[in-house]
Amino acid sequence: MRYVLRRFAQLVLVVVVVTFLAAVALRFLPGGNDVIVAIRSGGGVTPEQYQAVVEELGLDKPILSQYFSWMGDFLSGDWGTTWTTNQSISTEVKRALPISTYLMVYGQFVALAFAVPVAVWSAYRQNSRFDRVATTSAFGMLSLPNYIVAPVLMALFSVQRKWVPFPSTYHSLWDDPVAHFKAFVLPAATIAIPLYAGYMRLLRADMIGTLQSDFITTARAKGVGTRRLLFGHALRPSLFSLVTSAAVNIGSLMGGVVIVEAFFLLNGMGRLTVESIFRHEYPTVQYSVVILALIYVGINFVVDLAYAWIDPRVRAGRALG
Amino acid sequence: MRLGCLTPGVIDVTSPVTAGRESTDIEMGDMGMAHQTASSRRHPVRVFAALTISIGLAASACGGDDGGSSADTTSGGGAETTAPGTDSTAVATTAPPPTTAAGVEAVPGGKLVMGIEADTSSPWRPYEMICAISCYQVIRNIYDSLAMPNGEGGWSPYLAESITPNEDYTEWRITAPADVTFHDDTPFDGAAIVDNLERAKTGVVTGNMLTPVTGIELDPADPMTAIVTLDTSWASFPLTALAGQAGMIASPTWMAAADEDETLKSKPVGTGPFVYSDYRPNELFAMKKNTNYWNSPYPYLDEIEFRPIPDALSRRDALKSGTIDLLHTTNGQTIAEFRDTQEFPMTEIANNAEVGYTLLHVTQEGSPLLDRRVRCALAYATDEQSLIDAIGAGVGQIASGPFSPTQVGYLEETEYPIVQDMAEAQRLIAEYKAEHPGPLTIALATTQDNTSRTTAEFQQQWWEEAGFDEVTLDQIDQGNYIVTALLGNFQVFQWRNHGGFDLDQQYQWWHSSSAPEVGSLALNFGRIRDTRLDALLEENRASDDPVRKQEIAEEVNHLFATECYNIWGAYTTWGIAYKENVHGPTVFRLPDGKEAVFGAGMAGTFYPMTIWIDQ
Repeated sequence: MRYVLRRFAQLVLVVVVVTFLAAVALRFLPGGNDVIVAIRSGGGVTPEQYQAVVEELGLDKPILSQYFSWMGDFLSGDWGTTWTTNQSISTEVKRALPISTYLMVYGQFVALAFAVPVAVWSAYRQNSRFDRVATTSAFGMLSLPNYIVAPVLMALFSVQRKWVPFPSTYHSLWDDPVAHFKAFVLPAATIAIPLYAGYMRLLRADMIGTLQSDFITTARAKGVGTRRLLFGHALRPSLFSLVTSAAVNIGSLMGGVVIVEAFFLLNGMGRLTVESIFRHEYPTVQYSVVILALIYVGINFVVDLAYAWIDPRVRAGRALG
Repeated sequence: MRLGCLTPGVIDVTSPVTAGRESTDIEMGDMGMAHQTASSRRHPVRVFAALTISIGLAASACGGDDGGSSADTTSGGGAETTAPGTDSTAVATTAPPPTTAAGVEAVPGGKLVMGIEADTSSPWRPYEMICAISCYQVIRNIYDSLAMPNGEGGWSPYLAESITPNEDYTEWRITAPADVTFHDDTPFDGAAIVDNLERAKTGVVTGNMLTPVTGIELDPADPMTAIVTLDTSWASFPLTALAGQAGMIASPTWMAAADEDETLKSKPVGTGPFVYSDYRPNELFAMKKNTNYWNSPYPYLDEIEFRPIPDALSRRDALKSGTIDLLHTTNGQTIAEFRDTQEFPMTEIANNAEVGYTLLHVTQEGSPLLDRRVRCALAYATDEQSLIDAIGAGVGQIASGPFSPTQVGYLEETEYPIVQDMAEAQRLIAEYKAEHPGPLTIALATTQDNTSRTTAEFQQQWWEEAGFDEVTLDQIDQGNYIVTALLGNFQVFQWRNHGGFDLDQQYQWWHSSSAPEVGSLALNFGRIRDTRLDALLEENRASDDPVRKQEIAEEVNHLFATECYNIWGAYTTWGIAYKENVHGPTVFRLPDGKEAVFGAGMAGTFYPMTIWIDQ
């Protein structure tokens, strides 16, 4: 429990820092309030309109007061409207968040679903033909950036075969599951391919080490079957690096998602954030960044708890001896 | 390349044309300058290039991003279709279902998904819009304009029942027809016209256009009529002002409601052929058929969905994948490809084309561009033809000035150097540097589109070879590109503009009254302040003598050439490619019996209400 509380306290600290930086970031933009007001209102404003914009954004308040005011709006969901398209920012984020979430989840799921069995079998059959094919192909996949994978997949499966639509259009899983998966299959595959390669190689290496452990030898001596040996005994202690990597990848995935969403024109959080930056939609950027940060620290918190479950030494604070 | 551009005023256009596919509806009207079509499937005819195109340096510019190509053209009359069958063009009429010579009737119904080059939305109230081509393509389905360019080179009333001037063109009476209502059932009447024009007077773009307007009031004797008074004689007021953004009419009820609730601004309400249905930034703009549209039998389609796909090649791939039914593009590579394809018919629009060019800020304090020699050195150093060939797949016609071949004032040859002369460029720069010691630097702004960037890199290389110590490139996102131009925060800017057929349509772009200081929004982006140009524009505005107007426009052309106010690129051609079951855009007849120009009188746009789909 102490471990959990300590991790939670760290999470709260990160959240405070991130939200504070996001809330007061407007103060540090080049050009100051004049530029912000010009962007917000299109220029040519009266002094009254100028003041109204400054007050709306809390730029006339002391920095802490601005922060608490901003946090109040954030927590209450009163995020205002986008400056150029007059959309509710909270609605925009609510629309974008599931898309990025599905994309990351599907990408991770597909990568892990293929990586784990392939890695386990490769480790078990080290240096076999299967292992050599698996590791060599993983090498190739690791060298494929998503901006190469995406157009190739699109050309093959959208333009030539017309199996999946391009651009991808999001459909709710519950309203139209077929269209939903069609929209995500190529973007998720684009994300999954390099992830799969990394996970497979990581898990394979750990599994090889684990399979050489004394307890595995003992299990074998006891006549434990192959499947139980691999998945019941060897896999769990080999997962530590994989779980760490998967968690760390959440952060890099957010970056990758930006590219993939832009390529397939999926309007997820990545595209929303980038487009908002380009359009100088600062409030949208603020809320989007904070949402992404919360997701990131939240997932890492869960991963920390998972460590403790996977390896009791973490709970006991003896992980490093 | 892309470009796009603000075209607030209205625009252009000319001739009728259209294109059709083998079974087009409509009969041909005056084919004027239209170029027609040929079947891409069976007769891969290359529509000619003379009017087409260009890539232009400028390829980039405001608007969407079509990567590669050329300049676009206005949707004016010249349209060519690479579609099967004969070259019959057709003119849809307001009579019940138009039929082709073969007796094929337009079939109502269906949904069209169109890929557009950018989501350049803004608040959708007409007076607040800062629009590029895609924005106009979308919003013209929701709003009708009071007037519309016709195929005879003039204007006709459209939403307005009549638009009549006094003897010296200083007062115009605009009368609304009876029984037309907005989509929210608000009646369209004189008060609605007054409300819209009064708001337009306050708009950043529309206000500049309506500068001469001194009074807008309801006729006390006729609630259906608005009276507009001007401080100058303005013979082409309906064409320049009322057929474009300033003449687009929105529901006063909705505009008032949007004053209180900002989120309503993105849900426009007009009298147009389609009714707003849904808008998701960067994803789609959907609309449904206005079943009570006053201009029956339009529209044919039940639904239209516009999907912004900024990258030109991605837009092409979206058509190929079947996700969209129709696209527009100025990308030379795409146009060249669709000219040859057997799968997708394409209508090309090249009349009264915009010109792709490099816009120079010519009055910025301390800028080397104040010196004519530096400006002309940029022109001499540029090899536009190589850009057309290398980036625009050869689709393009090099520009000798601001006016394309079908525009009044076009000259095949001017004093402008269309052939690269690096030695002359180096001589001019050396001369300037001898008088102005110190580093000679310049900043070139472009969009984030790859083709535009490539174009800029060519320019950077040439200009540094000419003697500039440094040419820096600034990539600006599409959303801020136009605003940057409006504010004048640039030195050199890739752009596309100036489609149309009357010089008066360029007034706001070039007259010094539209050129306030940097930091203030201005339509005269380059802040040209030339008394000779002002005088010519003013004389043209007041004149209704076609011969004199032609002379004036040619003088303007020469003036631009000798002063090197801009670096001309290529004339723009737009390609409208679509699936085989789609019957592409056609010309239709206006309420006064004249043909409308092909397209919507604005480069790159057309009226989807004339499109129908095989069911």
